[in-house]
Amino acid sequence: MNKSLVLLIALFFTCNNLFAQNPARVTIRGVVQDTSAMTLTGATVMLLQPKDSSLVNFARANDKGSFEFRNVKNASYLLKISYVGFLPYQQKLKEFPSEVNDLGPIKIKPIAKELLEVVVKTAKAPLSIKGDTVEYNAASFKVPPGSSVEDLLRRLPGIEVDASGNIKAQGKDVKRVLVDGKTFFGDDPKAATKNLGAETISKVQVYNGKSDQALLTGADDGKKEKTINLELKDEFKKGAFGKITAAVGTSDRGVLRGNYNRFNKKEQFSVLGYANNINETGVNWSDYGEFKGNNSFNSNDNGDFGFGNGSRFYYMEGDYLNNFDGKGFTNNFGTGVNYNYTHQKTKFSSSYFYNQTKLNLDQYQSTKTFLQNSNFTTLDTNNTVSFRNSHSVAARLEQMLDSSNTIIAKTNLRFSGSNSNVNQVQQYLNNSEDVQNRINMNNGSNLNAYNFNFTAIYRHKFKKKGRTFAASSTLSTSSTDGTDNIRSLTRFFNATNVNDQIRAISQLNQNANTTTMIKAGVNYLEPLSKKVYWESFYNFNNSGQNVGRDAFNGNLESQRYDSLSTYYQNQITYNRVGSGLRYSNDGINLSFGLAVLQYDLDGKVYPQKGKPLTANISKQYQALTPNFSANIEFKNNAYMGFNYTLNVEAPSITDLQPVVQNNNPFYITSGNQDLLPAKNHELSFDISKFDPATFASIGIWSSYRYYLSQIVYSQTVDANFVTRTRPENMSGGKSFNLGMYSSFPIIKTKWTMNLSGNINTSNTPTIVNTIVNQTNNKNYTINAGFSITPSEKLIMNIEGNLGFNNISYTIENNQNQNIRTKGLSTSVKWNFAKKTFFETSFDYNSYRNDRFGFDQEIPILNASVRRLFMKENRMEVRLAAFDIFNKRQSIVQTGYLNTVSNQQALTLARYFMLSLTYNLKGHSDKLKKNGGFF
Amino acid sequence: MKKIFLLALLYIAYFTSFGQNNEGVVYFTRTTYWTKLNSTLTYLSKQEKERMSYMFGGKDDWANYTLLYFNDNESKYVNSEEKNEESEGYAWRKEAYSIGRNFTKNTMTDVIEMLGKTYIVEDSLKLPEWKILNDLKEVAGHICMKAQVEDPIKNQKITAWFAQDLPSQAGPERLWGLPGMILELDINDGAVTVVATKIEFKKVDKELEPPKKLKGKKITNTEYQNMIDKFIKEKIKEEINPFWVIRY
Repeated sequence: MNKSLVLLIALFFTCNNLFAQNPARVTIRGVVQDTSAMTLTGATVMLLQPKDSSLVNFARANDKGSFEFRNVKNASYLLKISYVGFLPYQQKLKEFPSEVNDLGPIKIKPIAKELLEVVVKTAKAPLSIKGDTVEYNAASFKVPPGSSVEDLLRRLPGIEVDASGNIKAQGKDVKRVLVDGKTFFGDDPKAATKNLGAETISKVQVYNGKSDQALLTGADDGKKEKTINLELKDEFKKGAFGKITAAVGTSDRGVLRGNYNRFNKKEQFSVLGYANNINETGVNWSDYGEFKGNNSFNSNDNGDFGFGNGSRFYYMEGDYLNNFDGKGFTNNFGTGVNYNYTHQKTKFSSSYFYNQTKLNLDQYQSTKTFLQNSNFTTLDTNNTVSFRNSHSVAARLEQMLDSSNTIIAKTNLRFSGSNSNVNQVQQYLNNSEDVQNRINMNNGSNLNAYNFNFTAIYRHKFKKKGRTFAASSTLSTSSTDGTDNIRSLTRFFNATNVNDQIRAISQLNQNANTTTMIKAGVNYLEPLSKKVYWESFYNFNNSGQNVGRDAFNGNLESQRYDSLSTYYQNQITYNRVGSGLRYSNDGINLSFGLAVLQYDLDGKVYPQKGKPLTANISKQYQALTPNFSANIEFKNNAYMGFNYTLNVEAPSITDLQPVVQNNNPFYITSGNQDLLPAKNHELSFDISKFDPATFASIGIWSSYRYYLSQIVYSQTVDANFVTRTRPENMSGGKSFNLGMYSSFPIIKTKWTMNLSGNINTSNTPTIVNTIVNQTNNKNYTINAGFSITPSEKLIMNIEGNLGFNNISYTIENNQNQNIRTKGLSTSVKWNFAKKTFFETSFDYNSYRNDRFGFDQEIPILNASVRRLFMKENRMEVRLAAFDIFNKRQSIVQTGYLNTVSNQQALTLARYFMLSLTYNLKGHSDKLKKNGGFF
Repeated sequence: MKKIFLLALLYIAYFTSFGQNNEGVVYFTRTTYWTKLNSTLTYLSKQEKERMSYMFGGKDDWANYTLLYFNDNESKYVNSEEKNEESEGYAWRKEAYSIGRNFTKNTMTDVIEMLGKTYIVEDSLKLPEWKILNDLKEVAGHICMKAQVEDPIKNQKITAWFAQDLPSQAGPERLWGLPGMILELDINDGAVTVVATKIEFKKVDKELEPPKKLKGKKITNTEYQNMIDKFIKEKIKEEINPFWVIRY
């Protein structure tokens, strides 16, 4: 059918021809030859539109080198011929007057062999041909740093440079060297080549330029001179950004915060500083990221090999982040520098950071402790003034030795100090809420510490794809040196004997601890087939700790309390070897593994450093730990995960130390040398589905933990409410967690609804006065909210939450606690005028516990107006009001073991603040819809 | 236009006898550079783009492997089973993706899983508006010439390098129609690159056979493009990167 149509069209055009000047359709043919008239079989011949080089048609030359375009539209064309090893040929074709047009033999020129061999094949650089200009990327030719353009030209194929700097291109003298098309330093071609650095050049072009004479007169004398043009690199990879904020507020509030970054292709340099008294103890995530630059996240940094978690994850060391816990008033200062160098196979980073925080905290806590068929209440009022600071220096080097070997070395040195003074009053009330004892304490402490850490990780990829080996080792040492000054005065209101009515303690403790840890690990991954992998690992860890404490009479420092002093040496050696099989194919990843681990503990106790040994504890624990995991990705974006593992964890050093801690005479802790490791089964399951068309998602996750052995603190409470605790192993503890979330659009691009809920239940056994108590904790929370974006200029959020926490105690079952929390949180961001924004948020929280008779409501309202000024919106002026109702305080309600407590602390409430921020790159004049995501 | 094209095809069919290199498979590495890709999003501020490249530039790449089967008349472009070197053997599910081109029948049969559904795009072929440029470069042992095309829907400027000595119109992704096989693609200045690493000449009749059971919704190419267009516009408005869930 098509054939007849073509014929018909052809017929039509033939008729048409009788009347038209030029035929509407033409046939173009020709023969492709090289300069010695050899035919070039298979050459590609293209017809392009002259105005934009659009491809109209193409053909290939046959075995006689001839090509033909039959019946193409009669128009002007650009005829283009390409053939391997030849310069692309271009010829303009005008509209043809006749129907059949033979262009005859077309001779195309070969590309200089060295260009093809060296530039294209060896340096893998693209070759640009513009008429008779050949241009290539100078960056593909490696010259040592500091080389001049002359050194670079020496390396370029087809160019010769003699001893005195004269240049020849393709055998002809180069008369002119241009820089970005312009003459550089007069007419001497050597001026540019000797004076310019090779690293500033991006492209080298060689062409036949018009002679000076022709340029001067404008008349082409036909003489062509070899010309080299050097194109300079655009410097887009170099730059700087940063911002500075200064703010003043009511009640002497002030903020100064700034960061500045400079970078080029290889280096990143940044400085950061902050000082404030508005409880920002560090910087936020985005400032942190700008400070650390490409060292914020590092892959391959984990040398602790094990099941499934593999060895590749990104993590951030959050030393400088704001970690304020919501309690008290702080004055903060911090500053640091960071330098990163990344070039080819080397990545180096280093940083120094100093920070300090002064805290003033007033806190009130009421705790109810349940004993068998009775309870007592502790009221605690405490004022803490503390100061802490730290200097930290860190460096990291990642060096790729070759494509299969990588080494990572990182080190960190940190000096820190703190001193604090705590004034505390505790009152102990019996069942009928009569004050039994009162204790006034004044404890001071002073601590200096240093930590040093060095880790090296080696990774190797074998020739066999998927087979990898990794080894790591870590050395870490730390030392702390401190003094505790403990003073307390206790009144016992029930005492009948005068001597028993008052007890005073004055004690000075000198503590000196050192820890040294050596860690090592290896990991080996072997692909048994494309779908089955065999993974094995070994971990070793040896840590030694020396703990020394000398307790003296606070009033008579020569009097040593031997019973409260100790010197203790502890060695823990951990060995684990594990192996597992994994099946991985098309979204199904299943793995099963088994590991054997052994802890060797060796403890030596001395009455004092240098004195003979009083006790030697030597223990060995072994365990076999299985691990199973399944991760399945279904069609339609549904996921399922299941994991089972047996966790074994050795007791902590402090829990093993047979040392009595009596800083608080009503709460005396001591260690237990007979502790066994904690062991639990852990099961987790999750399932989720995501709809990419609407971004709706739903997920459910669940986890269950059962303790074969749990470390819990048994308590003995005497008639005077002095509690003595000691860690013990108990079995039967369990916890269960079930959570769900969902997010879906109600109106596309405008309304999104978020729902989430959580159920937590736990059962913790503990021994209170030799009787086993079970604490059952049930916690339910539910959360619902909307994100509303009616327009580009208005963004709103509203969210509500409810929480129920029921705690029951088997030893005092009429004392079940019901803690209720309610919350409502709303926010509005409104770009109400050009470059002007209004932002407000309102949070309402209520806390209730009927047993305590506690019912507190906290409404917090914040509001601010900001406007952008200057070119590129570099300046932002903001007027903000924080906590307009002056209600902010910290409230924490918790139930733990056989206690329930309610803690309240004062913190920064209402203030107003005016701030100026100057941003080198300008502020965005739009509202952000998805808080920082991209 | 269609007829011209048909004629061109006739020529190709006629001249293919020149090369023995007319049937086989091309191995491609498809690398996504997320920082560059994200930088093309219009709703991000200058500061955000700067921070992003400052923090993640240089280690934001993720490679996948793809295969292009071809003979004189047909080509089929699919995801390879091969795993990324960084994946430690873990295998994620790959969405259905098979791009079939028949140059003699002038038809496309694309099976694309997208936005939670599998679509079968069946339509006639429409030649992309290629511009031919004057640069030469070697890719996988072949000297290639540069060509460019624009995708207004995904807002992409695509550079292709096609071999002078492989007389096939086939190409990776959904591209085709150059006087030689496309061996490299560069989308938006390196946001995504698709580079041939190896070419194996062998019989691939079996691989080129269309999937036996085509399960999915049949749509035309225009419907497919309209759907993508609508989705991209919607997500850009919501300030969500649409290329999290659709192929760049």
